[in-house]
Order: sequence, then C-alpha cells, then structure tokens
Amino acid sequence: MPKDIVLEMQNVSKRFGSVIALDDVNLSIQKGEVHGLLGGNGAGKTTLMNVLYGLYQSDAGQVRLGGEPISVHSPKDAINSGIGMVHQRFLQINRFTVTENIVLGTDLQNWPRLNLDTAKEKINELGERFGLPVDPDAILSDLPMGVRQRVEILKALYRGVQVLVLDEPTTNLTPQEVDALFESLRVMVDDGLSVIFITHKLREVLEVCDRITVLRHGKNVLTMEREDASEEAFVTAMVGSDLDVESSIIFSSEQLEKTIGDVGQDTILEVADLTVGEGELVGVKSCSLTLHAGEILGVAGVSGNGQLELIEGILGLRPVHGSVLMQGTDVSTLETHEILKNSVAYVPEDRWQDGFLPTANVAQNLILGLHRQAPYSDGRLLQRHTILDRSNQLIEEFNIKTPGAQDTAGNLSGGNIQRVMLARAFSLPVDLLLIHNPTRGLDIPSMEFVYKKILERKQEGMATLLISENLDELFLLSNRIMVLCNGEQMGELQRGSYDKYAVGRMMSGVRQSE
Amino acid sequence: MDFELIIGFAGLVFLAMVPYIFAGLGTMLAGQTGLFIVAQEGIMLTGASIGFLGAYWTDNLFVGVLTAIVAGGLFGLAFAFFTTTLNMNQFVTGLALFFVGLALSTLIFKLAIGVTLTPPLVPTLDKLPIPLLSQIPVVGDILFNQNIFVYLSLLLSGALYYFLYRTSYGLELRSIGENPKAADSLGINVKRGRYFAAIGGAMLISMAGVFLPLVYTGTFTEGITQGRGWLAIALTFFGGWRPHTIFIGALFFAAVDVFALRAQVFGGGIPHQFLLTMPYIATLLIMVFGSRWVRVPTFLGQNYDREKRSV
Repeated sequence: MPKDIVLEMQNVSKRFGSVIALDDVNLSIQKGEVHGLLGGNGAGKTTLMNVLYGLYQSDAGQVRLGGEPISVHSPKDAINSGIGMVHQRFLQINRFTVTENIVLGTDLQNWPRLNLDTAKEKINELGERFGLPVDPDAILSDLPMGVRQRVEILKALYRGVQVLVLDEPTTNLTPQEVDALFESLRVMVDDGLSVIFITHKLREVLEVCDRITVLRHGKNVLTMEREDASEEAFVTAMVGSDLDVESSIIFSSEQLEKTIGDVGQDTILEVADLTVGEGELVGVKSCSLTLHAGEILGVAGVSGNGQLELIEGILGLRPVHGSVLMQGTDVSTLETHEILKNSVAYVPEDRWQDGFLPTANVAQNLILGLHRQAPYSDGRLLQRHTILDRSNQLIEEFNIKTPGAQDTAGNLSGGNIQRVMLARAFSLPVDLLLIHNPTRGLDIPSMEFVYKKILERKQEGMATLLISENLDELFLLSNRIMVLCNGEQMGELQRGSYDKYAVGRMMSGVRQSE
Repeated sequence: MDFELIIGFAGLVFLAMVPYIFAGLGTMLAGQTGLFIVAQEGIMLTGASIGFLGAYWTDNLFVGVLTAIVAGGLFGLAFAFFTTTLNMNQFVTGLALFFVGLALSTLIFKLAIGVTLTPPLVPTLDKLPIPLLSQIPVVGDILFNQNIFVYLSLLLSGALYYFLYRTSYGLELRSIGENPKAADSLGINVKRGRYFAAIGGAMLISMAGVFLPLVYTGTFTEGITQGRGWLAIALTFFGGWRPHTIFIGALFFAAVDVFALRAQVFGGGIPHQFLLTMPYIATLLIMVFGSRWVRVPTFLGQNYDREKRSV
C-alpha cells in the first residue's frame, strides 16, 4: 500500500562557483517514515537539505509539500511550512537556557515581561511524549552532547513540524544515546511525522530507516525500501566504481585480523602518570599507557574529553607533569621540534587549523615541520630540487590529485589534504604515529586508503596512537582500546572483546568494573 | 573637604556621566547583534557639530538634539550597509567612519559659520529640578536637580535593560550577536536586526556628542569630545556589555573625569595626566581579572554570510 507523499524535491540543482554540488536530484518522503539519505562526504546530502531548509537557494528545481509547490527562501519559510532541521553542528546559543534556545523566534507573550512558563510546560510535555527529557532552565553550555541534541529536536517539535531533517545526528553520541535517539524517532513517525535521516554510516541507516535514498557526487543513485536491499547493494551505490568492495579492508576482515594481531616486543612509547594542564584547565589526569612496535592503541571518547590534550601533551605542545618515554628516553621536557626528530609523526585532527598552510604550495606543505631536517635542508638553506623531487614522488605514491607540486595547496579537496597530511607523516621513517580522527569528513575510498597506509607502516613496526570518535574505525584497527572521559582513563578493552555498549558506558563516565 | 563640596562633586559626576552612558549604551546595543563599532569619536563629533548648528539656527535645543540623532542614524546606516550588506571588515569600516566624522564635523561647522572672532553661542540647557524629589536633602540635590539629559540617560539604561533582557525582541537581538547562524536558522532576520541595532546604537552615540555643546560649552569647538568616544569603547568592555553595568562603569569613568579636572585646578600633587589614564588601566584590569563579568557577545566583530561554506 503506497503511503501519502508528504514532501517532494524535484530536479534540484545547485552549484557553488564552478563546483556542481547538486545535479538534478529527486527525493520524495512519505508520511510516517524514517527516510535515510545516504552518501559519502561531498555527495551533496547536506547541500540538498540546506536547499530544503532555505539556507541555500537552488539554481533549478522545485519543492512540493503535500502536493503544493512551495518556495523556501529562508529558514523562516521552511519552519512556517512545517519543515524542521537539526544541523550536524548544532545551531545553539551556549549562553542561553534550554527554553530560550527552543522558543527563540516564536511568538511570545511580552507584557508585562517575557513569559516563558507556558513554553516550559509545552517543552516538558513534548519531552515526555517523545522520550526526550530536558531541564528547561539549564544553560546550554553545561549540557552533554546527547542532551543538546534533544534540545535541537525539541526545537523543531515545538514548532510543530511535519518533516524533521536530522543531519548526521549520531556524531558525538555514545551508543546508548544513539539507541535512545532511534527509539524517539520511532515514536515520532508513529505519531505521523516524517524524518529525513542524513548519514554516511550505513549500519545506522539499515537499523532505523524505512526507505533509503543514496546520493553520489551530487546525483541520485537509487531509492529503495529497507527490506528490498542488501548491505552490499547500498555500499556499491555509495562508492560506485571507486572502490572494490570485495577486497576492501572495511568490508572484509579475515586478512585484517592476521595483520592486526602481529605485534612486536619493543616498547616505543611509555607514558606514566601524565597530567596535562593546570588548575581548572586540566585536560588529562594521571594517564598511563604503553605502546609497542607494530601496535595500534585506540583512544575512544566523546569529543573534548582530553584527546587533544593527551596528544599535544605527548608532543610537548602543552606543559605536562609526569613522564613521556620514547624508546627509553624521557622527552617530556623537550621542545616539540626536538621530539619530532625522533621519528615521530603527527596527523592532527583539525587539518585546516593545525596541519596545513592553504596559501603555500603543495610541496611546502609536504615538508612542513620536516623542513629543518636532511634531506630537505642542509642546515642553512632549503634544498629546492630535493624537495621538488621528493614531493613529486609523494604525490605519485599517495595519489594526491593536484596539477603539480607547486600548485596552491588550498585548491585541494578535503580527501586530498588528508593525503598530503599522511604523505608528510610517512615521508621519512616513522616509529611512532600520533593520529587524531584520521578519516573525519572523508569518503569511503579515501578512508580505505588511510587505513591501508597505516597498516602498511604498522607491519614495518610503526607504533600508532589512534584517537578517534568513530567507534567502527577503532574496532576495525586497534589492538587495544582505551576510553577517556573528562581526561581520565575509564578502562581498556582488548581486541576480541570489543563491545560498543561497554565502550559507551565508559565514554559517559562509568568506570570499567574489574 | 567640606560637605557642600562633596555634594557638588557628586552632582558634577552625574552630569559628566551622561555622554559616557549614551555612547556606551549605543556601542553595547550594536554589539549585542555582533556589530563592533569603533567610530564613536567621529560620530560624536559630527553629532556635536551638526546638533549644535541645528540648535543655533532654530534657537531650539530640542531641534539640535533631533538633528544630531538623524546624523547619527545616517552613520549607523552606513556602518550597517558596509558591514552587513557589503560584508566589509567591521574594524576597518569603523575606522574609516571615524575619520569621516572627524573631518565632517569641522568642515560643516566652518562652512556654516565661517571663521569668527567670537564663537557662536547657544544658551546651555538649564537644570530641571523634579518637584518634591529635588527637596530631599543630599540625594535630591545630586540626583533630582539635574538637566533633562541626566534623567533621560538613567531612564534609557533601564529601558534598554528591559528591552534586551525582558522581551522576546531583546532575546532575538542578543541571539544574533551570540550565534547569527543559529538565529538565522530559526527565522530571525539577522540583517534587519543588525541594521536596527547599528542605526539605534549610532543615534545614541551621536546624542552623547551633542550633549557636549548643548550642556557644557554652548558652542562647538574642534575635538570637543576629547577622546570620550574612544573611552566609550573601553567603558563598554568595562561595563561587561550590559546596560545596568555600563551605568556603573559610566559613573566610575565620570568620577575620574571630574576628579582629574579638579586635581588640575586645585593641584593636589597627582599629575592629572595620570588620573586621565585611570579608566584605561581599570578597563585592562577588568579584562584580565573579570572574565566572568565581561560577557563579550560571542560573534562581536564578525560578519555573517549565509551561503559561505565553512570548510
């Protein structure tokens, strides 16, 4: 039995300058369904939804709501038509209370003074009905990510939306929070709402969605009922011919287990009782870890729980107490550039902020941080020819798509920038790799590439500290996983006994029971 | 120091406070939407010059104030247009408008009056004692035996506080300065809010300027503001970007102002240049130690462009 179509987007196109972000895309949403919008990064999912929500103006195409064409020129139009959106980066005001955030922009009683009591009642009632409890008087910045997301959803429900768009809603949530979210979504669609669920995580889509549309390179690939399609069908649709799914390490794991299990004896990194920061600003408390040659130690945790501080503490970018031994030598008092000389490579989380010079050329970015060392420098001057030759080699080896080593690095796409980061890290012999969220924002073939490169070096004996917010990635690659919460070690799991709920409990601050 | 002198001093402080309050509130209002105006000195000078001429030609101080408000509004409109519509850097725009205001104030005055031996004068604004209240000993003399600007500045502080923190319009306006993208996503018109706040803010700043010739000197002279416009920026930070605390800050700045003037007349050992640096030093100290007190709007000084893709 076909259900009523609530929302239709027909032949939508959008370009940014010379980049075609959306090319003739169609989407139709039924009443009372969770519709998955699946695609890799840059597939156009978010752009399509920003068009729907009036944040971008489409160049062509139309939107129909309940059969009637509507024109959406601003978020206000979208809200008035009954379309709500929860953005990936929450659009919230940290200093306002939950209630203020939710009611902002709605009609309110102003005389004799702003009255929010009825609003609070409504928020409590909605929270109860859909399983989204919040404290209406809490200040946003005090709340954990899971609760802040509830606030975002309530914001849309408060406005009585018919169609709710969730953009990558599970980023930064623990597995328990994800389950709770999925339950709430079920209640909503049973209530007659329609939900558009944007994600690049296939497993989530298969778990919660009724129908699924796949986008690739800004084009429709397919729309299918959940029951009608296998996992492989969607993977192939997502990645197209860019990736051989059969031989991919992400999807076939026998060979992988053997590679991962192979760990050496030598201790590469030994961190003992490390505290990073002082006073109220302590980022990491008494952390201890050991890393052997050829080992990958995963670090899990909700973003902002000490991961950055840990890595920057080890690298000497932040003042520390405790000891950091690299191959037996204490480096905790050394300057960062001295530490980096000991065959240590760092791939930062925030590529644009911490690892990359967009206005410099590709070659310069490829030697950044190594530019004082041979062979790139003779101690006084940069060796121009060596640098160019080596850069061309790296561009070839890491398959960096650029017109040339001397082209402006800022023209590279996100995936290619990450290739530059990796090429730099691996351009000289590496014993220890510190790598933070290495695949954030990358599409599946690029993820595959990153994993392969890390594993290649691991087999040569490189030790890796892999900090990631992506549990699938940690489960795939790590020999062990340690969990951080509020800068403290909550516990550690061995490969073979990974359990996302156990990790989730530790991520939310429950210590591992002995 | 006898009692009379203290009462006189306190009364003068409340009078000297007026331009600081107006300029501080104007800066704050624009700032609450994320617009950081740095053209206060120029806007105040133009307000003083044009406002004075308005009053001089019509023999009506009220018309003078109105002309200053209109002139200030035009500055605000220009600021909003360059920063919000054309997306130009706020700081550079503010500096440019400062120089425009600085030059314009003298130019217009010279064109209108020419060079004269005796300065053109308007009668300065009289005190307006409030019946009954001004009879209260001490307090009555300090607070209720002032001119209308003083009452207005106090009323305005309260009114702006009510508007910003007790109405939904204020909530919306503040949300623009805290996170314009979030405000936009909820259907709040960021551009309109910023235009409104820039024009309103610049009007207040201009009123701070016209106060000087109409109440203090009775005529316009070059550089009549004596850096009060720049101090207003410091004051707004000192006052933590909130109306009620800007009022306290303005009292403090005015006290230093009056005290420095007195010290200049009566001597007293402390060089008055040193006293004049006090507000700046106090502001720096507040910024260093009072980070919880100072709640600078999160997006202060940043333009918002909806279709800009963040990488």
